[in-house]
Amino acid sequence: MKNTLAVAAACSLIAGVASAQDETLTISVYAFGVDAMSEAIFTPFEEVCGCEVVIETGNSVERMAKIEVNAADPLIDVAVMSTQDALQLAEQGLLQPLDVSRISSYDDLYPSAQDPIGNHHALGYGFYATSIVYRSDLVEIDSWNDLFSDELRGRVALPNITGTQGPLTLYMLERARGGDDLGFEATIDAIGAHGDDFVTFYSRSSELAQLMMQEEVIAAPAGRFAWSRFAGAELPFAWAEPEEGQAGGMNVITMTAGNGNEDLAYQFIDYWLSTEVQTRVAEAGLDSPANMRVDLAPEVAEPLTYGADLINSLNMIAPADIIANRDAWLERWNENVLN
Amino acid sequence: MALALPAAVFTALLFLLPVIILLSEAFAVDGEWSLQGYVDFATTPLNQTVFLRTLKLGFLVAFTSAIIGYACAFCIVNLEGKSRGRIFGLVVLPLMISPVARTYAWIVILGRTGIVNDTIVGLGLSDTPIRILFTETAVFIGLLQLFLPLMIISLVSSMENLPRDVISAARVLGANWVQVFTKVILPLTKDGLVMGGTLVFTGSLTAYITPAILGGSRVLMLETLLYQRVNVANDFVSAGVIATILIVMCFAANLLLKRIAKARS
Repeated sequence: MKNTLAVAAACSLIAGVASAQDETLTISVYAFGVDAMSEAIFTPFEEVCGCEVVIETGNSVERMAKIEVNAADPLIDVAVMSTQDALQLAEQGLLQPLDVSRISSYDDLYPSAQDPIGNHHALGYGFYATSIVYRSDLVEIDSWNDLFSDELRGRVALPNITGTQGPLTLYMLERARGGDDLGFEATIDAIGAHGDDFVTFYSRSSELAQLMMQEEVIAAPAGRFAWSRFAGAELPFAWAEPEEGQAGGMNVITMTAGNGNEDLAYQFIDYWLSTEVQTRVAEAGLDSPANMRVDLAPEVAEPLTYGADLINSLNMIAPADIIANRDAWLERWNENVLN
Repeated sequence: MALALPAAVFTALLFLLPVIILLSEAFAVDGEWSLQGYVDFATTPLNQTVFLRTLKLGFLVAFTSAIIGYACAFCIVNLEGKSRGRIFGLVVLPLMISPVARTYAWIVILGRTGIVNDTIVGLGLSDTPIRILFTETAVFIGLLQLFLPLMIISLVSSMENLPRDVISAARVLGANWVQVFTKVILPLTKDGLVMGGTLVFTGSLTAYITPAILGGSRVLMLETLLYQRVNVANDFVSAGVIATILIVMCFAANLLLKRIAKARS
């Protein structure tokens, strides 16, 4: 591993030198929808800045590892990620606090997106709700507790705890069961006790979509960003509005510490959070806007997590609580659910 | 000897060294040499379950493929001319199709609305569809279909060298079919069985796509657990431990099969 890291560090050194010379901005983004994101954000930005945008993709672990390995001479200038990943990197000193006076649309962001992890280490650029997708012709979902009902036995899939949807699902199940323990112990134990009643613990929304299309699963918690997979399907799918409410999360944009490319990075962050770009991204169905001034037609807004009422009602887990508890969640999940 | 040196150096640099570097990760805990990674792995209940499940499924797939493989190979070598080539071609054909495509096909076949459940319900064996996907049964079926051709090919090549007279001779001398198989065919085709058994067993242990798709996180095997340790937990120590265990299991299986074959002869 050390040798691998050394080679990676050497590569980053070379890449870093090239970056400064060529007015290049390197952005680390999620791997899905990169082409559409390029069309909506990255390519238009290249025309605005007269620079080259280099895209780095991968899963969260890989992308965080790349930032960590290249801390001395950052290869990545700007990175988008979950709030908990951003907080973890910020606590390691790998992110720099943002000077929000350089972000012209800062005041237009929802309050919860203005400083989601503290010290202005990140700004929210998109929200997502998490609720239950279900077959409206077969069942009715009014509560998160319905996932444990006899009617749904053997027809429910839950998200795996290792993804972002897993902890949000446990959070809502815990609340539905009347608890408020962030260790989710009783809820994880209950899932373990009903282990055979759940079809699987899925990792990707594409996997869930396939299982629901072939009627293996008829109800499952999912992120609203996956709703487009179901909305146009022949089978009648519905998005639940449980009495306990919907869970939610936010993706944030961050700047690596000491990247030496701050001016371009600020220009890019300002560009992405602007009303114009946030509207374009939303209209392309890529992300739900964090900018309050984005005004969308109802049919455009329908598949998104849009509007102050909805966003302010989302039940979110504080990123510090996720970091503090996730090892314990995983251990209990492995012992009581997967074992 | 000197002529082999470049090849030896080439092999050592490109194959052995990376493996040694990879496996050494399992002994590096917090920058120091330690066996703690192995102790932690062995004392975690989930890891024990996954290890035993991997071993069990590997054995079951190898054993079942040997039984089906002998029957198929015996039929194939007794076919003549074109028929033999065609049937053998059908056996080889699945190997030319991507394991991903083959495994995804099983999702459809084994699903609630798939042909298997349609048949079960249609025959009245069950009132409602039974869950096969994301069970050990699904992983077993997927792995068996994936690796059975390797066993058949190994046994066919071994049986082709079997003189036909020996079976007739055994029958004339009063052996029943069980005796013909255990006393004549099995000893004379053991090399093919060892080869096929090793390929199927090690293939089943190290397969990733099939357990990942048909088992999901409910039916973790060592290979899918390894992937999780790297990609979810960024835990290279556990991943190194699992990689080492897999390599040792593969070598051990090969040695064991060879020893059994040698003991029989």
